[in-house]
Amino acid sequence: MNSATRNGGQGDLVIEISDLTKNYQNGDETIRVLKSVNLHVRRGEMVAVMGPSGSGKSTLLFVLGLFLPPSSGSYLVSGRDVLSLTRDEQAIFRREMMGFVFQSCDLLENSTVYENLELPLVYAGVKRRERPDRIRDALSRVNLEHRIHQPSNRLSGGERQRVSIARALVNEPEFILADEPTGQLDRENSLRVLDYFNKITEGSNMAMVVVTHDTTTAEHCNRTCVLTDGVLNG
Amino acid sequence: MANKHSRLAAYLAHRSRRGTTWLRMRDIMRVSIREVLRKRRRYIGVIAAIALGTAGFITIVTMGRDLKTNFNNDLDMLGGATIINPYFEQDGAERLEWFRDRTLTSLARIPGVMEVSSVLTKPRAITTFQDRIFGFNLVGVDAAYWRVFSFNAAAGRLFDDTDVAEGARVCVVGTLLARTIFGGDQEALGQILSIDDNLYQVVGVLGGVRAGDRGQFIFLPYTTARARVVDISQPYSVYIRCATWDDVAPVAAAVKNVVEANQIAKGLRVNVAWEPLKQVQRIFWWVSLFIYSSIVATLILGGLGIWNIMMAAVVSRTREIGLKKAMGALDNDIFFQFLFESLCVTMTASLLGIGLGRVGVEYMSHMLGSRPPEGLFLVCLLSGLLFAVVIGVGAGMYPSIRASRMQVVEAMRYE
Repeated sequence: MNSATRNGGQGDLVIEISDLTKNYQNGDETIRVLKSVNLHVRRGEMVAVMGPSGSGKSTLLFVLGLFLPPSSGSYLVSGRDVLSLTRDEQAIFRREMMGFVFQSCDLLENSTVYENLELPLVYAGVKRRERPDRIRDALSRVNLEHRIHQPSNRLSGGERQRVSIARALVNEPEFILADEPTGQLDRENSLRVLDYFNKITEGSNMAMVVVTHDTTTAEHCNRTCVLTDGVLNG
Repeated sequence: MANKHSRLAAYLAHRSRRGTTWLRMRDIMRVSIREVLRKRRRYIGVIAAIALGTAGFITIVTMGRDLKTNFNNDLDMLGGATIINPYFEQDGAERLEWFRDRTLTSLARIPGVMEVSSVLTKPRAITTFQDRIFGFNLVGVDAAYWRVFSFNAAAGRLFDDTDVAEGARVCVVGTLLARTIFGGDQEALGQILSIDDNLYQVVGVLGGVRAGDRGQFIFLPYTTARARVVDISQPYSVYIRCATWDDVAPVAAAVKNVVEANQIAKGLRVNVAWEPLKQVQRIFWWVSLFIYSSIVATLILGGLGIWNIMMAAVVSRTREIGLKKAMGALDNDIFFQFLFESLCVTMTASLLGIGLGRVGVEYMSHMLGSRPPEGLFLVCLLSGLLFAVVIGVGAGMYPSIRASRMQVVEAMRYE
């Protein structure tokens, strides 16, 4: 792994979160899920966010993906305030700037690997003739080129997660958000997926935020932050 | 990466990229078609319902007039509801006027008129056969007369337009007379009858539902009767057969004007069987109501079926919707995907219905012995496609809106 990026001391900031809070209202009671969270992630950096269940990890990830609005604070991506975006602009932001990898390896049912990777390109308006190369390129980064026309329901768990990663990469995003990406994989497949993550961040200067329980996953990251009761340390 | 950011900024600054939008719509349409094809079993029921409804609509509307005409023929044989009988009333023992040839030609041109036949009569005529004398009613008619009353030949043939044109010395006898004179229908064929010192060969015996009323009649070709029968009447009476019962009232109303335009119309009366006509119309109205209600019910059920299936699809595909939104799908992308799916189902059903409708039209044409009106079929075809669009949009709109407005987090957490 590149030591410069591992130290996190070089490169531009991709994600800048300052004093970010997220509250839920439960009747008269206000539940503070995220308390004045600060997080800076640079290009080429892979940051792990760890914490016990209910600590607000998923909420933080959803806020980063603009799936949930924060209650207060600021959120800049490459220096641009993204909290002021409209609903459609948020969708454009998701397809142009970020990729998402889910714990449950969510692939579209009754579809091939190619069709799964094609959809983000469809939404991005990429021309049809450009798509096969970009899909092959993304699959080659997770060594799954040979499975390109395979139905997604015939893949193993590890392969499904790798397809999920390739799908996150296909639009060449600025950063990837991963929610427990190895949560449903055995040790061998987990290590393989983490190796791909390392190669991706090193090779492309892409930033990555990984929410995980798993210390092995955290060890593969440049930096680990711990979220406890809505407070982020590290 | 900087380039990437500037791409987003450029996009946000100029959001109306029509080319890209169209490209995306075309791809989303393709994705929708793929979804429908892969889940086709789910849609078989509603596709069948809409296809049958559309086929029924096309067949009934396209062939409606021919069907009505045929139905009309069948019912008419029982009551003559579409036969109008204009005649000149007698003034004492003398008839004042009769129908001129130009009047008959004009009557045949009234819209809705199918056949016009004038009749020459000589009541109490006599003939001899094997030294026996028989009384009968002599009638001079043209070949249209058979078509007006839907007569056919119980034996032999009815004389035709050629016989009339040539003034052939042939005759058709009523059933009762054939039995009385010759001992049977078949026995009558080829026999020679002497009427007013002229010999006529029997070529047929009158048949048909209403032939019993004319059992004591002998029919000669109109031209023959006029040329050879002494004391034959002028054409005081005319029978007009309308194409359908809907034509009866307007034709009956037009008859007087047409006659007045061609000749003196003094003593003209127009006899219409209004009561049987009303009964026939009432029966057909109920039959039509039943048929069209069935078609409308089928189509409504199809539409509700699609609405129901699309609603179920939105619920069962909640996670998929969330996933697509997480990948950057706009609300419109999701909305149009579901709407295209709904349209894809209704258009498939409609095309299938049009195909079935064409088969139905061809089959009915074959059965009725007519050619389908292609212009009307085309109108029905376009109506079917338009209806498919309306029902597809109508039934798919709400589920599509629901899908498009789904929140990503709720959709992703949906189990």
